[in-house]
Amino acid sequence: MSAIKLFSLTRNGNRAIPLCSSRAYSTSKDKEILPPLKGYKYVNNLDPAMDITSITNRAAQQIFWTELLSGFGVTLAHIFKEPATINYPFEKGPLSPRFRGEHALRRYPSGEERCIACKLCEAICPAQAITIEAEERADGSRRTTRYDIDMTKCIYCGFCQEACPVDAIVEGPNFEFSTETHEELLYNKEKLLSNGDKWESEIASNLQADHLYR
Amino acid sequence: MAKYLGLDKVGKLFQIIQQSGGLRAAYKKLYRFDELKIGSLVGTDKYGNKYFENPYYFYGRNRWVEYAHHQNMDYDGSQIPAEWFGWMHYKTDLPPIRDGARVQHKWMASHSENLSGTKEQYMPYTTTKPKYEAWDPKKK
Amino acid sequence: MIRAPLTKALSLGSSTSPIHKIAAAAFRTTAVTAQIPAKAPEKIEVFVDDIPVHVEPGTTILQAAAVAGVEIPRFCYHERLAVAGNCRMCLVEIEKSPKLAAACAMPVMKGWRIKTNSEKTRQAREGVMEFLLMNHPLDCPICDQGGECDLQDQAMAFGSDRSRFTDINHSGKRAVEDKDIGPLVKTIMTRCIHCTRCIRFASEIAGVDDLGTTGRGNDMQIGTYVEKLFLSEMSGNVIDLCPVGALTNKPFSFAARPWETRKISSIDVLDAVGSNIIVSTRTNEVLRILPRENEEINEEWLADKSRFACDGLKRQRLVAPMVRIKGELTPVEWEGALIEVGQKVRAANGAVAGVAGSLADVESMVALKDLLNRVGSEAVCTEQSFPSEGSGADLRSNYLFNRNIQSLETADVALLIGTNPRYEAPLINTRLRKAYVHNELEVASIGPKIDLSYRHNNLGDDSNLITQICNGTHPFAAKLKEAKNPAIIVGSDLLARPDGAGILANLQNFAKGFKSTSALNVLQRNASQAGALDIGYQAGVEEAIKSKPKVLFLLNADEAKVTRDQLPKDCYIVYVGHHGDEGAQIADAVLPGVAYTEKTATYVNTEGRAQQTLAAVSPPGLARDDWKIFRAISEIVGAPLPYDSLEEIRDRLDDIAPHLIRHGHLEANSFQTVAPQLSAAPSISSGKVSVQQLSLKDYFMTDPISRASPTMAKCIQAAKKEGEKKAASASC
Repeated sequence: MSAIKLFSLTRNGNRAIPLCSSRAYSTSKDKEILPPLKGYKYVNNLDPAMDITSITNRAAQQIFWTELLSGFGVTLAHIFKEPATINYPFEKGPLSPRFRGEHALRRYPSGEERCIACKLCEAICPAQAITIEAEERADGSRRTTRYDIDMTKCIYCGFCQEACPVDAIVEGPNFEFSTETHEELLYNKEKLLSNGDKWESEIASNLQADHLYR
Repeated sequence: MAKYLGLDKVGKLFQIIQQSGGLRAAYKKLYRFDELKIGSLVGTDKYGNKYFENPYYFYGRNRWVEYAHHQNMDYDGSQIPAEWFGWMHYKTDLPPIRDGARVQHKWMASHSENLSGTKEQYMPYTTTKPKYEAWDPKKK
Repeated sequence: MIRAPLTKALSLGSSTSPIHKIAAAAFRTTAVTAQIPAKAPEKIEVFVDDIPVHVEPGTTILQAAAVAGVEIPRFCYHERLAVAGNCRMCLVEIEKSPKLAAACAMPVMKGWRIKTNSEKTRQAREGVMEFLLMNHPLDCPICDQGGECDLQDQAMAFGSDRSRFTDINHSGKRAVEDKDIGPLVKTIMTRCIHCTRCIRFASEIAGVDDLGTTGRGNDMQIGTYVEKLFLSEMSGNVIDLCPVGALTNKPFSFAARPWETRKISSIDVLDAVGSNIIVSTRTNEVLRILPRENEEINEEWLADKSRFACDGLKRQRLVAPMVRIKGELTPVEWEGALIEVGQKVRAANGAVAGVAGSLADVESMVALKDLLNRVGSEAVCTEQSFPSEGSGADLRSNYLFNRNIQSLETADVALLIGTNPRYEAPLINTRLRKAYVHNELEVASIGPKIDLSYRHNNLGDDSNLITQICNGTHPFAAKLKEAKNPAIIVGSDLLARPDGAGILANLQNFAKGFKSTSALNVLQRNASQAGALDIGYQAGVEEAIKSKPKVLFLLNADEAKVTRDQLPKDCYIVYVGHHGDEGAQIADAVLPGVAYTEKTATYVNTEGRAQQTLAAVSPPGLARDDWKIFRAISEIVGAPLPYDSLEEIRDRLDDIAPHLIRHGHLEANSFQTVAPQLSAAPSISSGKVSVQQLSLKDYFMTDPISRASPTMAKCIQAAKKEGEKKAASASC
């Protein structure tokens, strides 16, 4: 009874209707289903209708497997429709220029490596995946001797490329670098540089596409 | 009327078989690529991969690659070179053959697929000198 | 025109015209008056940010603020250097004063209210920062100072949050050519902010007037004017002093960032001063060594060898035990090497001797001595000799620097005999120089003519001079007798002479009549010597050779004092140490020990102060703690030593001499007056008093670590070249 009272309060001051509907509820003892309010939809399963026509229809459906047949029909229809999935190695999904994939160390157009061993990426890396050792190169410039990224530690947050003052370390577009063993993902400097050499075309165009927002 | 009966699809099938170069070739293609599609050739990269486009298919399926013939069944997603990567991934509508702004440096390396599991796979090694230099009694 | 500070007039090599002398005297008097305040001055009250503080008159605003616990930003001001007042970063507002005052140079007045955080002050700081940054390159990512840069920190704390620097004419920032001032200090002069700390350090502390400024305003440059190397045994300290990255550590350049290094407090062992150091390590590698402040020993300075020889720790290392097989030293496993040595010791039947070298720590020396005693031998000695006649090494006061290093500042007359403290103990020499500048110290020396970085009276190099001084016939003897705080510093090499005992006895007798009891000081050169004598080692290798040993242990003994032909033919030499040097070459078995950065060990400095090193990195390869090696041999020999851990061996040290485990504590020396009574017949043979380290090129390589260091080799090259250049310019 209290539920009805509560319900009645939500109505816009019209107390006459709940009174008459409450009579209707009291007639059906086990289940009380309220008619949905205006603008609402009833989402629970309704009890099957129990009049004789409905019962006969249901029996006929079961005897003659019509549901099964209509199911086949749907399957058959989809053979002629275009599939909703993509055929992966031949078709590829859309990517953003900001996609953060496999790391690469870039070079200047002259071919000189960009990295100056400032170690800011190492400092900012939240997963501590980067290890750098540096020394003075013969020509007096500051260069790394070791630039290791443990790709299995990396969380691909992109902080390293944010921190880099010379755009040397970038997360390139490539995501197809899965390996069969763990150690293949322990990248060293040469691997990262060769990644850069391979992907420079795409890395450069990504940076170009994004330059207004950087 | 033909559209309602789905006969245009049959017509398309014939077109596809025709473009593929006959029934045998079409079957081979279907075997390699699991699918037969018709489209216009946008370009070919230096490794022999052919890139097609057909706006008839919906976004995500309207660009595709046919991997180079010599790859046979050893095609791999990582065989697409960096130049075509952006076009394949819908970052740009400008295929690299028509994009004059793409950088070209002589130090840029040619593409290689993911070599994991092969003999040429990358194995980590140290790039530094050993920290300690041991004394050699023979060297004076 | 080179603009050098007034102290230039003090320097040794400068002109000796009367005007200069007067200027020098005037300077020194003012320095002294500044040093000694008038009788019990009344303290004055000032308010720093409304905190009341009572300070002595003459205190600067900056010092008063420090008393109040308020830190004022500064670049040029440094506590140990003269005030320059040229960076203007310390400008503060004083209430009712129309202009801001430079806190470092302005003495406080009674009742001043100083505002260090007012709007005006902050604006001034922002302005100063802006001017400094206008000409400072934005190359922090490649600058070695990045992370420990005063300019970086203060720009963050006090600088403006935006830049007004727009180079519309593209005239560029100021750029200055880098100077080559030697193999230790790298210069990037564009980064210089002209605080002149390096100039002041060079002329005031190091005593070399090599650095100065040229030009003025925007064209001001710091440099040597003529191309010349800044070669001093203290040059590395300008790196620490430089607030920006203009002067950086050349061997350490680009190696690591300060935030990624582990810093371990330790002790330097490359000379006998025992300077306190911080060892910076990363990935188990000693990267650089920095001084650690200790007023009693090294203040905040560090000598160049101690600072830069650390790259020698990575070269020529013994990383595996070696045994001579068919005439060749061949790497073997520990087990084989230990069994071989153990069997030889057993077969020797007590004919075993041990020699400890300059880098041996007290723990391993104790372990060696205990091991040898257990197999029935007493022949343990040090490489460095010391007279054993008379009371010899029995009295600590005989072989120590009795007047402690800090109190040298108060000395008024000093006599150096057969020593060159500038290179034997650079930090003791800076104390002497400090006393010379601030306390009118009068220095005389007996020995060859040397450059001590301050003016001193060279009495000659005849040994008879010592006799003359001691019997009072030399005029300088009277000066010493009358002095309030006299100091006689005797080189340990002089006492290693055959007549060393006589020299020591004579001097002890002479020093009896002094006003100060601890006037006689022996300056040791080895970090191990004082500790070895403390635990009962005999000084000099003669004892070991005389005992005709069948097995000889060399513990870090690399001075080649013992040679093959002095020993019996069948003598088996075991070398325990960390570098492949003289000792390892003649050895039949080499057992790799660890260097001072890799072990926690005790060293006793020349004052007799026990201090400990802490292990900063783990030993390379198979190397093990030296005392553990002796412990392992004792097990095989069948006479196990009763200690298994560092704590237990420290307990053993406590039993031998309790001061050895009171680290950092200086034990007062007594018996100075007893010593002369016990001394042998004093006689001094005639001859010349010599000094081993005459000039800078002799300074850099004195032990296995510095001999293995490429940086030190470069230093010697540079010093030689500079010497040649000087000689050439003198001849023409």
